Amino acid sequence: MTPGRMSREVPLFRPLTSWRPKLILGSLLAGAVAALLFYSWGYQVRNDIGVTGLNRPVFWGFYITNFVFWIGISHAGTLISAILRVTSAEWRRPVTRCAEAITVFALSIGGLFPLIHLGRPWLFWFMIPLPNYRGLWPNFRSPLVWDMMAIGTYLTGSILYLLLPMLPDLAILRDRHIADNPNSARARIYRFLALGWRGTAQQWHSLESGIRALAVIIIPVAVSVHTIVSWDFSMTRQPMWHSTIFGPYFVVGAIYSGIAVLMVAMYLLRRGMGLESYLNDKIFNNLGLLFLTFTLIWSYFTFAEHLTVWYGNEPSEMAVFTERISGQYAWVFWAMILLNVALPMLVLSFPLGRKPFFTAIVGVGVLIGMWIERFLIVVGTLSLPRLDFTVGTYQPSWTELGILVGSFGLFVLLYLIFVQIAPIVSIWEVREGEHHLGQVRPASEHLTVETT
Amino acid sequence: MQRNEKTWLHAVFESPIDAQGALQKLTEYGFDSNDIEVRSSIPLEGLYPPDLHVRSHVPLMAVLGGIVGGICAFMLTSLTSQAYPMETGGMPIVPLPTTGVITFEGIAIGAILTTVATVLYECGLPFFRMKSGPLDHYLAEGQIVIAAFMRADEYSDWTSKAVATKRQGPHQPPHSVTNVKGV
Repeated sequence: MTPGRMSREVPLFRPLTSWRPKLILGSLLAGAVAALLFYSWGYQVRNDIGVTGLNRPVFWGFYITNFVFWIGISHAGTLISAILRVTSAEWRRPVTRCAEAITVFALSIGGLFPLIHLGRPWLFWFMIPLPNYRGLWPNFRSPLVWDMMAIGTYLTGSILYLLLPMLPDLAILRDRHIADNPNSARARIYRFLALGWRGTAQQWHSLESGIRALAVIIIPVAVSVHTIVSWDFSMTRQPMWHSTIFGPYFVVGAIYSGIAVLMVAMYLLRRGMGLESYLNDKIFNNLGLLFLTFTLIWSYFTFAEHLTVWYGNEPSEMAVFTERISGQYAWVFWAMILLNVALPMLVLSFPLGRKPFFTAIVGVGVLIGMWIERFLIVVGTLSLPRLDFTVGTYQPSWTELGILVGSFGLFVLLYLIFVQIAPIVSIWEVREGEHHLGQVRPASEHLTVETT
Repeated sequence: MQRNEKTWLHAVFESPIDAQGALQKLTEYGFDSNDIEVRSSIPLEGLYPPDLHVRSHVPLMAVLGGIVGGICAFMLTSLTSQAYPMETGGMPIVPLPTTGVITFEGIAIGAILTTVATVLYECGLPFFRMKSGPLDHYLAEGQIVIAAFMRADEYSDWTSKAVATKRQGPHQPPHSVTNVKGV
């Protein structure tokens, strides 16, 4: 191992070899915020769904907004990582692991919200393909059942797609800990987690084939997940929901918010863990350009969606449209445009704006903007249904706000725990990249070498 | 150690070129893939004994898994929809577009699970009884370990510097390790 690489890898192993006070403090803080979710949820379960601001006609409020938002965030990892792997983008190597972890945790949290929204989460099994106690099977014509199938598939695929490429790194950690102290708890844990990986030629060949296959399979699954989430809305005849572009619009929005959270996470990892040599300016620049591309695509979809409604001038659609553009939701809508269109274009269009700090700032802005977008879609339409005698408003209660804030705490907590268990940058993939770049001599050379 | 007792001789190499040289020498000495094991912390194309046939059936198994998953999903939706005599007003009990969505997810989950299962099978994982070799910590540092299974009396000059260990024997501390370089 070269001294350069050894010193560069030190920050990667630091949180995995000893307890880091900063990470523990961060985990405790995040845990305290996450506790708010469970306290609020417990309060709701005890006192029933009436403690929320949900009422007719707005029967989907913060919970479904959060559901769509978190499922969108989950597109940060597996999809982006899979696309970069399939296209053999070399700069992906330090990014994939931290992105894939985002997917798993965001998807898990997103999947909690339908349970929370149920009010009686113990009846969730009605969605599982089993006959319930009235002898009925789930209605496979319902997009809600499609949701469960798609999210279940994506979560399973994402967990496996995260864990499979992690095996060689877990073996590296196992070997390091065994060399230090073979009987330590960490050595035992990593011995178990590495599953007995040895790094033989056959193992590498099979692993690489598996990762390639999973990457190809997971891309259409990721697209299907958010398309199906959009169909929860567009399969109804509600104004500004019943749209043919909702599928791709949601997918683009999901990737857009996914990149945003990835930028923020990468910036915090870089600063907090000293990963500047891995998550370098070049990677932020490349992801910044991708971010800018999705700003343009999302802006185009948003414009197309609203232009069609305005041009059609259908009364029930226009009622929602007008409320959004110049009515009670106008300030929220224009804040969204500012955060999702103006800010990224102004900042990311310039090389300076694609530096880590600025991309993280834009990332935070886009995250807020995308949450607003989901809120406008859910609540904006439901408060103005086609039958105007049911027009109503929605005010979230503290329970819903607590669950929203707590969900962010839970996400950060899970991520920080992960950082302390597994290398957040894929060690073997980065080493392989260095090998390809010629920092280590390529394999093709040593096949022809003559030895004495 | 008995002179004709077979042991694994482990050697560590810093560069793939050195490892390739050692591998070539071992092959020249008549060792085949049953007697040689090359291990590394990154995939190294071509760095394995010439007679070792490295292959994977992952793509084929993924396709088969997808087909099975799709059939299962289609049967799940169609059979369960028909299991309860729901009144649909003349609309189809098993509408293909909605069934198609579930079938698609079934194809995907079938392919994913089969892919992972095939990888684990081909890699021989999980193997919790695996014992670490004496030089495994060098693997963790990015170096390459070549192990050759040989009798003690087969040792030649270049192997005399290496550490001989019993096959899957207990872990030895790093200070007992000698690098074999410049074959």
